[in-house]
Amino acid sequence: MGELARYLVLAALLFGIGLAGVLTRRNAIVVLIGIELMLNAANLNFIAFWRHGPHPEALTGVMFVLFAIAIAAAEAAVGLALVIAVYRHYRTTNLDQIEEMKG
Amino acid sequence: MTGVGYSDLLAALAPETALVLAAVAVLFVDMGLMRSAPLRQRFLTACAVAGLGCLVTLGILASSGAHLRFLDGVLVVDSLTQWVKVFLVVLTLFTAGISAQAEFTEHVGEYFALVLLATVGMMFLVSTEEILMIFVSLELTSLSLYVLAALDKRTRHASEAALKYFLFGSVAAAFTLFGLSLVYGLSGATNLTGIAAGLRAHRSDPLLAVAVVMVIMGFGFKVAVVPFHLWAPDAYEGAPVPAAALIASGSKVASFFVLAKIAVLGFAGVEGSGAWGQLRAGWLPVLAVLAVGSMVLGNLTAIAQGHLRRLLAYSAIAHAGYVLLGLMAMGYPSQRSAALAAVLYYVATYGLTTVGAFGVASVIERVLGNGRIDALAGLSRRSPLLALCLMVFLLSLAGIPPLAGFFGKFGLFTAAMGADPAGLGLLWLVGIAIAMSTVSLYYYLRVLKQAYVVAGDEEASRIVVPWTDRLVLIAAAVGVFLLGALPELLLGPLARAIAGGNGF
Amino acid sequence: MPSAPHPYLFLALMLAVGLVFCLGMLGLARLWAVWVSPPKPGLTKGAAYECGLAPQGDVGIRFQSQYYLYAIIFLVFDVETVFLLPFAVSFTGLAPGAFVAIMVFLLLLVEGLVWAWGKGLLRWR
Repeated sequence: MGELARYLVLAALLFGIGLAGVLTRRNAIVVLIGIELMLNAANLNFIAFWRHGPHPEALTGVMFVLFAIAIAAAEAAVGLALVIAVYRHYRTTNLDQIEEMKG
Repeated sequence: MTGVGYSDLLAALAPETALVLAAVAVLFVDMGLMRSAPLRQRFLTACAVAGLGCLVTLGILASSGAHLRFLDGVLVVDSLTQWVKVFLVVLTLFTAGISAQAEFTEHVGEYFALVLLATVGMMFLVSTEEILMIFVSLELTSLSLYVLAALDKRTRHASEAALKYFLFGSVAAAFTLFGLSLVYGLSGATNLTGIAAGLRAHRSDPLLAVAVVMVIMGFGFKVAVVPFHLWAPDAYEGAPVPAAALIASGSKVASFFVLAKIAVLGFAGVEGSGAWGQLRAGWLPVLAVLAVGSMVLGNLTAIAQGHLRRLLAYSAIAHAGYVLLGLMAMGYPSQRSAALAAVLYYVATYGLTTVGAFGVASVIERVLGNGRIDALAGLSRRSPLLALCLMVFLLSLAGIPPLAGFFGKFGLFTAAMGADPAGLGLLWLVGIAIAMSTVSLYYYLRVLKQAYVVAGDEEASRIVVPWTDRLVLIAAAVGVFLLGALPELLLGPLARAIAGGNGF
Repeated sequence: MPSAPHPYLFLALMLAVGLVFCLGMLGLARLWAVWVSPPKPGLTKGAAYECGLAPQGDVGIRFQSQYYLYAIIFLVFDVETVFLLPFAVSFTGLAPGAFVAIMVFLLLLVEGLVWAWGKGLLRWR
C-alpha cells in the first residue's frame, strides 16, 4: 500500500467513525463531535491528495483545508448555539426526547 | 491575476456588495436607532431598510452588463447568472415583505441581516464554477438558514426544527466535502471544467462512484429529495414562516442551479444512462432513483398531512423530483439549453408560488394561532383575498393552466421526453411524474375545499390583511398568473441569456 | 480503460460500496457496543467522577449559558485568524488591492465585535 493509499484509508476510517457516531449516539453534543470528525476526515483527504498530487507547488489543497477549518468552526458555533436553544426548552440534549413533531 | 484587477472584481460583485452593506446597515439601524422602539416599528423599519437594499441590488443587476470569468471559474458573471440572481433577490424581497408584520423575535436586525446574508451566499453559489467557492457559499447560505430557523424562541418546535435541520444539513455538508475531496484527488483540479477533464481517465474507478454519490447526496439534502428529505417537513412547519419561505424558495433555486452545474459541467463524461432497460452507471441513474422516490413518496405522504406547511413541505419534495427530471434531460447534450431554460423557468416560478403560499400561511397563522388545514374552514368568507391567493398558488403548484406551474411542468416533461436521441428513454420517468401530478391535484383540492366549501364558524370576524402582506401576495399571484399566461416573458430572456453564456 | 467491464458491474459496485460503507460502520459500532462495552447503567457508572470518593451533587451541574456564549464568540474570532496567516506570510509581495481586501475582511471582523459589544454580549451578568 502506497503512502497516499494509507492516508486515504485513515481518512475513510475517520469518516466512518464520525458517521457511526452521528447515527448511533443520541446526545446532540456527541453527534456534533461526529460531524466534526467527518469534516476533518475530508480535510485529511485534501492534504494527502495535495501532498501526493501532481502539483504540490500549487497550494490548492491547503487553501481548501484552511477554508474548511474556518467553516467547521462556524458550524460548531452555530450547532452549539442551537443545542443551547433546544436545551432551554427541553432541558435535555438527548435527541430521542427532542421528538415532538411527527408526520 | 489573469488580467482582472480588483476594480473589475468589485464592479462584477457590486450586487453582492450592496446586499452585504444592506445587511450591516440593517443590523446597526436596528441596534442603534431603534433600540427602544416597539417591536412592530422595529420590524417595519428593518424591513424597509432590507427591502431598499434588495431594490438597489436589483437596480445594479438590471443596469450592469458585467461579463467576467475570473481564475478559471472561481467567479463567473454573465447574463445567465445575473438572471438567476434577479430571481433570488426578488424572492428575498418577498420574504422580507411577509416578515414586515411578524413579531416572533426581538432580534429584528439580526433576522433581516441573516436573510440578506443567506441571499448573498446563494448569489455566490450561482456565480461560481469552482468547488471551494461552491462549498464556502453553500455553507454561508446554510448556516444563515439554520439560525433563521431557530429565531422563534417562543415555541419549542422552532428550536427542535432548527436542530434537526442543522444536524441533517451538516452531515450532508460533511458528505459533500468528503466527496469533493475525492473529486479533487481524482481529477487534480478544483474548477468544474478541469474536473471534467481530469475525471476522464478515471471513468470506472470505484472511488469516483463514491465521490459522485456523496456529492449528489449532499446536494440532495439541500433540495430535499427522498431519501434525504427527513428534515424538510419539520423545518417547514417549525421554523418562523418567512424563514421557512426562504428555505423553500431561494435556497432551492440556487441549489438546483449549482447542482446542475456540478453534474453537467463537473461530471461531464460520467453521465451513464437513466433510460429504461439500459441503465448505465453514472450520475443519471442516481438522479433517476432520487426523482422516482421523491415524486412517489412526496405526493403520497402529502395526502395524509393535516398541517398546511407540512403539506407544502411534502409537495416541495415532490416538486424537487420533477426538477430532477429536467436535470436529467440536461445530461443529454442535444437537449441541454432547452432543458436548462425549462429548469430555470420551473424553479423561478415555483419559488414565487411557494413564497406566496407561505405568505398566506403566515397571515393565517398570525390570526388563527395555528396552521392546521381544518382551521381554514370558511376562509373564503372571512377573507376573499386570502382564499383567492391561496387558490392561485395551490392550483399553480398542482399544474393547472393557465398558471405558471402548468407551463413549468409542461416544459420540464417535454425536455425530458426529447432528451434521449435514441428514443423515448426517459418516458418511464415522465409517466410516473404525470401520474403523480394527478395524485397531487387531490390534496391541493382538499385544502381549497376546506377554504371554499366547508362552512366555518359563522360568528368569526373578517381577517384584516395588512398592506405589506397584501402587496406581496397580490404581486406574487399576479406574477404566477402572468408568467403562466405569457411564459415568453421569462423564457425569451432566459433563452437569450443561455445562448450568450459561457457554454452552460 | 484497457478492457471495458460490464456496465452493470460498475453500478453494482457503486451500490455495494455505498451500502458497505454505511452499514458496515453501523454494524461495527453495534458489535463494539455488544461485545466490548455492553450498557451497564448503575450508580457507579453514572457517577460524575470515578475517583474513589463518593460523588456529591448532581452530574448535570448548571453552567450559566453566558459561559457558552463567550466560548462561541471566542471560537469564531479565534479561527478567523487562520486567514491572517497566509496574509502575513506573503505580506511583502502583496499588491495594494490585496492589502485593501484583507483590511475589508478585518473590518468585517471588527464589525462583528462591535455588534457583540453593542448587543451587550461581552458584559458578564
